[in-house]
Amino acid sequence: MEELSYEQARAELAGVVEKLEAGGATLEESLALWERGEHLASVCQRWLDGARARLDAATSTD
Amino acid sequence: MVRPSARPARRAVIRATVVRRRYADAAMTTPEKKKSTAEEPFPVRVVSQMISAWIARLGWVWVEGQVAQISRRPGTSTVFLTLRDPSAEMSLTVTTGRDVLDLGAPQLSEGARIVAHAKPDFFPGRGTFSLRADEIRQVGLGELLARLEQLKKLLAAEGLFDKARKRRLPFLPGTIGLVTGRASAAERDVLDNARRRWPAVKFRVVNTAVQGPTAVPQIIDALKVLDADPAVDVIILARGGGGVEDLLPFSDEALCRAVFGCRTPVISAIGHETDVPLIDFVADVRASTPTDAAKRVVPDLAEELRLISQARGRLQRAVRHQIAREQQRLDAARSRPVLANPQAMVAQRAADVEALRQRAHRTLGHRLARADTELHHTVARLRALSPAATLRRGYAIVQDAAGAVVRAPADVAAGDALRVRLAEGELAAKVVGT
Repeated sequence: MEELSYEQARAELAGVVEKLEAGGATLEESLALWERGEHLASVCQRWLDGARARLDAATSTD
Repeated sequence: MVRPSARPARRAVIRATVVRRRYADAAMTTPEKKKSTAEEPFPVRVVSQMISAWIARLGWVWVEGQVAQISRRPGTSTVFLTLRDPSAEMSLTVTTGRDVLDLGAPQLSEGARIVAHAKPDFFPGRGTFSLRADEIRQVGLGELLARLEQLKKLLAAEGLFDKARKRRLPFLPGTIGLVTGRASAAERDVLDNARRRWPAVKFRVVNTAVQGPTAVPQIIDALKVLDADPAVDVIILARGGGGVEDLLPFSDEALCRAVFGCRTPVISAIGHETDVPLIDFVADVRASTPTDAAKRVVPDLAEELRLISQARGRLQRAVRHQIAREQQRLDAARSRPVLANPQAMVAQRAADVEALRQRAHRTLGHRLARADTELHHTVARLRALSPAATLRRGYAIVQDAAGAVVRAPADVAAGDALRVRLAEGELAAKVVGT
């Protein structure tokens, strides 16, 4: 599985949303874009959750 | 140019000199040439004479030093002085007449600087040596300060004061070397203030004289010891306030050069804020007082802890802030209809399909209705064109065997079979004649 950085995932997500909003894609393409978008959103969320958890861990050991 | 008349006279002088030298050599160097052996040693008087002659060769010199001791023996006119070098552990005995002293240095006291015109003298009676002075001048404070000014210029020109040559103090030194007077206020000020700021601070203290003739060599030795100690990361030279003369060792050239030569950074903390001995210019850092030196040599623990916790707080706030911002961006992207309501993607298309289907349905219906109407019209027209009505009026249609309509008698021959269509049916007939 590809390992995207937060910024990569976020940038790609923005692109996916833009493409979907622009319309014009076939249903099959649209579905594939949407699935990609969902995946990217969850990658971003994982990064943010991880960062928050690390921050909390570092703060609680003080 | 040679003047012939001068020649005989000059020869005579030369000859006289040579003769005198020979005579002197005979008197002084004969025992040397003879060499002493265990079997034939020199007597004391001969050796004493030899030493006396050697010492006398130096002749008259001008010498400067610091008076370490004066002894005026009652009942004699001879005064004994111990003259010490202010920068080194070296001294000489000077003897002079009371009158000489009264003339050039009437208020001479221990610690003062003098310049003496003297010649080495050997006393065969006790085998001792001293300098016999026939003129002594005390060096006044004004002259001392003028000389310091001169020395300052010299050292500055040599680059001893260069800012570029100054080393930075370590942020937190391992061991701090401290050179100061034993149990002095300066020592206590440095130790107490440094410990208050940084309780774990380590010191290596070397106590020395901080004024008088022994101060400079002792301080230089202490510097060497501390500079050679790899654990010592910085050296403080500390001394409390005092008179201009008391602080003179800290303007000494040898000490300035020793400080300059140290590989370890040196902090000078001499006297009060207003005292500026030359060492202040040479030292890597000049502290105005011993307390100030303590402040410069170690960081304040409480202050550092406060700064660290402050930095930590800012760090955490910054990261939390960024995470929150990114979460907002992500939430925004996710709440866009294309992502939040993916069913719309299908529903829209389903609606399109339904609309098309209905359009197709409608279109087909119209066409069927139109076709129906057309059919009716066609049938009506068909019916209108039908010959049935004519036949009902009594007309008949005659067709030959092939089905062709017979319109003229010439179309048929006698004997041909004919079909006669009537309104109510048909008849079979035969042509009987034309």
